[in-house]
Formats: sequence, structure tokens, C-alpha cells
Amino acid sequence: MTNDDNHPVTRRNLLKVGGAGLALTAGCVSQTDEETTTTTTSGGNGGDTTTQQTTTQESGPYQIGMVNSLTGSLSAFGERNKRGKELALEDVNAVGIGGRELEILSEDSQSTAQAGVSAAQKLVNQNNVPFVIGAVGSGVSLAIYESVIQSTDVVQLSQNSTSPDLTNYPGLLRMSPTGSSQSSALAEIIADDGYDSVAITWINNDYGQGITKAFESAWDGDVAYNQSHDQGQSSYSSVVSQMANSGADAWLFITYQPEFTTMAQEAYSNGYEAQFYGADSVKGPKVISNTPEGSLDGMKVVAPSAAVDQDNYKSFASRFEDAYGTTPTSWSAFAYDCVVNAALSIATADDFTGAALQETVRDVTRPEGQKVYTFQEAMDVLGDGGSASDIDYEGVSGPINFDENGDPVGYLEIFTVENHEYSSTGFISG
Amino acid sequence: MSVLEYVANGLVFSSIIVLASIGLSLVYSIADFANFAHGDTMTVGAYASLVTFGVVGGLGGSILGLPYGFFVALVAGIAVAALVAVITHRVIYEPLDASSIGLLITSIGVAFVYRSVLRLGFGSDFTEFDITLLRPIEWLIPYGIRMTRHDVAIVVSAAILVTALHLVLQYTDLGRKMRATADNPSLARVSGIRTARVKLWMWVIGAGLAGAGGVFLGLYAQISPRMGFNILLVVFAAVILGGIGSVYGAMLGGFLIGMINQLTPLLTDIGIPIGIEYANAIAFVIMVAVLLVRPSGIAGEGTT
Repeated sequence: MTNDDNHPVTRRNLLKVGGAGLALTAGCVSQTDEETTTTTTSGGNGGDTTTQQTTTQESGPYQIGMVNSLTGSLSAFGERNKRGKELALEDVNAVGIGGRELEILSEDSQSTAQAGVSAAQKLVNQNNVPFVIGAVGSGVSLAIYESVIQSTDVVQLSQNSTSPDLTNYPGLLRMSPTGSSQSSALAEIIADDGYDSVAITWINNDYGQGITKAFESAWDGDVAYNQSHDQGQSSYSSVVSQMANSGADAWLFITYQPEFTTMAQEAYSNGYEAQFYGADSVKGPKVISNTPEGSLDGMKVVAPSAAVDQDNYKSFASRFEDAYGTTPTSWSAFAYDCVVNAALSIATADDFTGAALQETVRDVTRPEGQKVYTFQEAMDVLGDGGSASDIDYEGVSGPINFDENGDPVGYLEIFTVENHEYSSTGFISG
Repeated sequence: MSVLEYVANGLVFSSIIVLASIGLSLVYSIADFANFAHGDTMTVGAYASLVTFGVVGGLGGSILGLPYGFFVALVAGIAVAALVAVITHRVIYEPLDASSIGLLITSIGVAFVYRSVLRLGFGSDFTEFDITLLRPIEWLIPYGIRMTRHDVAIVVSAAILVTALHLVLQYTDLGRKMRATADNPSLARVSGIRTARVKLWMWVIGAGLAGAGGVFLGLYAQISPRMGFNILLVVFAAVILGGIGSVYGAMLGGFLIGMINQLTPLLTDIGIPIGIEYANAIAFVIMVAVLLVRPSGIAGEGTT
């Protein structure tokens, strides 16, 4: 399941559109030129056409763009994003940015890269927005970045894309942590528990391989056993026996629920005991109900989470429930933080241009500044003329802290099996 | 000491494969086609016993850590698998009267139907017998063998079923008729054997054993709509290795394939970097190697 969420758009689709995207870029460069000329003439800025990025927004609300999956296969995400965005806009506009409001021009990506690229082109070339929040699917975000954003100063901040591929594009920011952040979290937890040797078994597919690779690079200790297993086998007793024979006391399972259940049963009926760890894909009520009482006790699982232990999340969640009648998911929290992040970068930038926003968008979330939890708090700290590094926005989705690749710090909840039930035993940033 | 442990694992897994292989081989020798619905017949047996066990429950005492109710459920699983196979034979295979390739393709469709019906009724998630899992038998652990009493029950039950089949084939009238029909159906018919009735019995025995295999597979791992289909390829390998159409060959092939499958970890233990994800591939390589030397399988020449 996790796997599917991580890659809503297949690589093949991405490639297809990547190809189309190149053609579109070629077309759009000339279009940008045209736009620039018209805007400069109408803006009355004189004959200076040396800069391509010209802002037309001198007064009125600050306009930024958002590419969202309002329709198509990811429309469930789009709906949550929309709600998160609306709540964030309320918060931002209750305070205002230097007396001006924030306005978000929302376009539909139809959950496809093709439509996403057109939507972004409209926002960047016609509406001249310097900041685009988008998109949901990792493939869509990448297509937009490569075809529309890369050649400009415009800031792109994806609200929901989790594919590890995006890490290779430092100019493309995202609010949702990469799927491999749980690997580093697991490495940290296992080391903190005092183990220096670990046995890993992983499911033989992209998901298992990706998480395991990331774990290996984050793990300093010894790997006593590191083998894949095929999905859907009727027996994994050889896996379990080998893990036991490896001598490691910490066993890490990167697999799916049925496979893990079989392994846990076989470990139990073979009389092996070890400290179990798992990725979030091995956590589920079925696993608990189909393993013997006590056989999993002490097992630790990490799962991506919003900052549910923070007050700002709690107030976000209760407002969300009042407005929409359901509890928010972490996806709406990501969209909320995207908007607040955008507003803060505008508030601290010298100019409302892509180039100026590039300077501030990362800094407002970084740990150098004073920790602030809401937009209101941030504006209070900034006062008049504060700079981006004065604040460290801690979002409702987690600490953010964009790194050099434009990835946020992952925020994960640790679950420990106690009395044969999962109980939340803390949070970790990875 | 891990070798003995792998052998113990292999013995349990082989028992299940043997039960499944015999049925597949019987159907091949008498009905003359490769039955791709065989794996799903196992699944049918497993679900039938799951339902029965849910109804009858524990029923007092227990043997080898298994409540009496489980054995009632086992019988029910065997019966339902046999019944479903007989009905399928009567309603589909018999009226169809197609060639063996036609029947093979039909059986793939039948497999889909079995699986989808089970999925409709029980969902596609995995489930379990409501039987407490056991810890390994204490006094075997010092020898490096980790078996639960359930594992012993699986091996013993499989041995009883296989022995019973052997007795039926060798010493009863039905057995002689079955062997005759398998050998040469036309000759059997002119000698006065009612081959249609023999075929029916063949389905009962073959599918019944598959059902038993399914129940044990469910006890050993979990019950899910794909469980039988997932294991079918291995079962085919066992039957072909043993010599397709030969019941005793299937027993031997099932035993070997099950063992090879569970002994694969030895390779990495002694330093050959071939992981357990290749367990089935290794079984198939050995199968191909054997077929190169003996094209009709280990027991291919012999009669059933």
C-alpha cells in the first residue's frame, strides 16, 4: 500500500511526459518572451527588457499558484490538499503580509503529468506567479519541474510527492518527506536501543530495495544478514532460520503484512527470540490478530506522521474537523504547511520575484532561527524587517528543515507492540 | 546444527508438496491433462476446513496440539475439495470433451472461478485457523531441530494418507482398475472396466489429497485465496521431476522439491552467494538437469 502511495505516477508515464515536456519547454520559452514584452509594455516599466522575470504584482493581493489533483486518480489527495490550503489561507490572511493578502490561483493537474505541465505553464507564463505549489504525484511534480520551472527563477514546492527520485532535483522542494526517511529513522532507533548488529530481510521489489539501500547507508553497525525474499511464498522458515543463525539480536523486516505474519509465526514456532523492527508496511491489525499473543511484544515500527503531538497540529486538527467533519490526514497537513511556508517566504523576501523568494523559502524553516509554530507567531517574531533566518517554522506536518536537496526532515511516529497492541511511544525525525 | 533444522523444515514442507503432487499426477495420468485448477482446489479445501473448524470448534481433547475439531475440519476440507472437483468434472470437463490442451486452458479458467468465488465470500486478505501456535518441542532443540507438534502432525498425517493411497492402489480392486485405466484407457474399457467411474474416483482421491494439502498449508502458514495458486508452480516441478503421470514418482518428486526448497539457505551458509529468493529457481534448474538425463522424469518409465 505504502508503495503505491509513494509512486502514484508510474515511471513510464513520467518518461512519456518527460519527452513531451521537452517539446513543450521549447514552445514555452518563446511564449515567455512574448509575455514579458506585453507585461513590460502594459506595466509601463520603460524599454528595459533585459530581465525575463518581471513581476506585475505591485499592489493588491500576492498571487501564487497551486497545481493540485482536483480530478483524476489522485483526486482524494487533491481534496485533502484543498482543505489544508483553505485553512492555511484563512490563517495567513487573518494576519496579512505587510498589509496585503495572499491569493492562490489553483489549477487542476487531472493527476496526469500532461495536464499538470499545462496548468503550471498557465500559472507561470500567464499569471506570472513567482511561487508554485505543486504537485501531488511524484511524476507530475517532476514533469512540471523539468518542463516549466527549471529554466526560470520560479519556486516550486510539491505538497505530496514522496518518491526518492525527487531528491536528485535540489531545485524542486517538497513538503512531504521522501519514503526513505523511515530508513534513517530505523537506523537511529536500532542504534539507540544498543544494537550494533542487525539482520535484515527485505521484499524483492523496488520498495524493499529502496528502503533497504537507504537503511544500509544510514546504519553504522554491522549487517549480519541481508537478503531478499520473494512475495507470496507459503513458507519463510529458511529466512527465519538464517536470521537466527546470523547471530544478530535485532531483526529488521522490510516487507508486507502477510509475509511478515508468516515470518513472525515461524519465528515463534521455531522458538527464536529477537528484537523485531519494521517499516510501516508490516504494521496492521491483521498482523496482530494472526500472530500468537506475546510473540511480537517489544517490536518497534515507524510510520510517517504529522506532528500530532504538537499544539499547532492539535488546533489545526480540531479546526479541520469543525470545518469538514473528518480528521485531517498528513496530506492536508503538508498542503497547509506549503501555504504557510510560501507566505513566510514572501513576508521575508526583498521583492515579490522568484529570485528573491528562492533566497528565503528554505531559510524560514531552518533551525538557525527562533522556533515558531504558527503564521501569527512568525509574523510577531519578524516584526518589521526581520529576515528569513530569524525564524524556524515548525509546521503542523513536522519540523520541515529543508535540506540541500529540497527535502524536508521526515517526521515519524514510533509504535511499540505492548500487550499485543500497537502503542505510540514517541516521535523521531529522520 | 542448522542443517538438521533445514531438513526438519524441508520435511514439513515436502509433506504438503507430496500431497498436492499426487493429486496432480493422478489427474494427469487418468484424465490426461495438466490441471491448473489443482492449486485452487487446495485453497477450496483449506477454506472449507476453516469454515468447519469455526463451526465445530475445539471439541474437547487434542492430539499433537491439535484439537479433535481440527481433524473433523480436515475431513470436511478433503470432502469439499473432492466434491467440488467431481462437480467441476461433471459440469465442465466431461461435457466439454476437449483435447488435453483444451482441457488445460479450461482448467485455468476454472482456477480463476474458484479463486474469485472464495474472494467474494472471504475477501482477499489472509486469515488463520483459530489454533494457538505452539513453541518447538523442547527435547529436540539440543539436536538443532526446531519442530512444533503441529509440524509432526502434518508429517504424520501426510504419511498416513500416502500409505493409505499406496494400499488402495496396490491391493484393492479399485486400485487395479485405476492403474489399468492410467496405463491404457481403451484396453481397460474393452476389458470391462467402467472407466468413467474410475475417473470419478480418481477425482475424489486426487482432489481430496489436494484438499488435505491445502488444510495443512493453511495450518503451516496462512489461508488466503492465492495460497494454492502460489504453490502450484512448485507442485508442477515436483510432478515433472518425479515423472508425470506416475504417482510414486510424484511422491518422490514432491519430497525432493520440498527439501531442495528448504535447504537453499545452506548455499549462503557455506559461502555461495545464492540467496533464498532463488529457492524455486534452484528447484527448477535441478528439474531441468534431471530431465536432460531422464527425459520422462525419475520414475517416468514405471507404471503407476
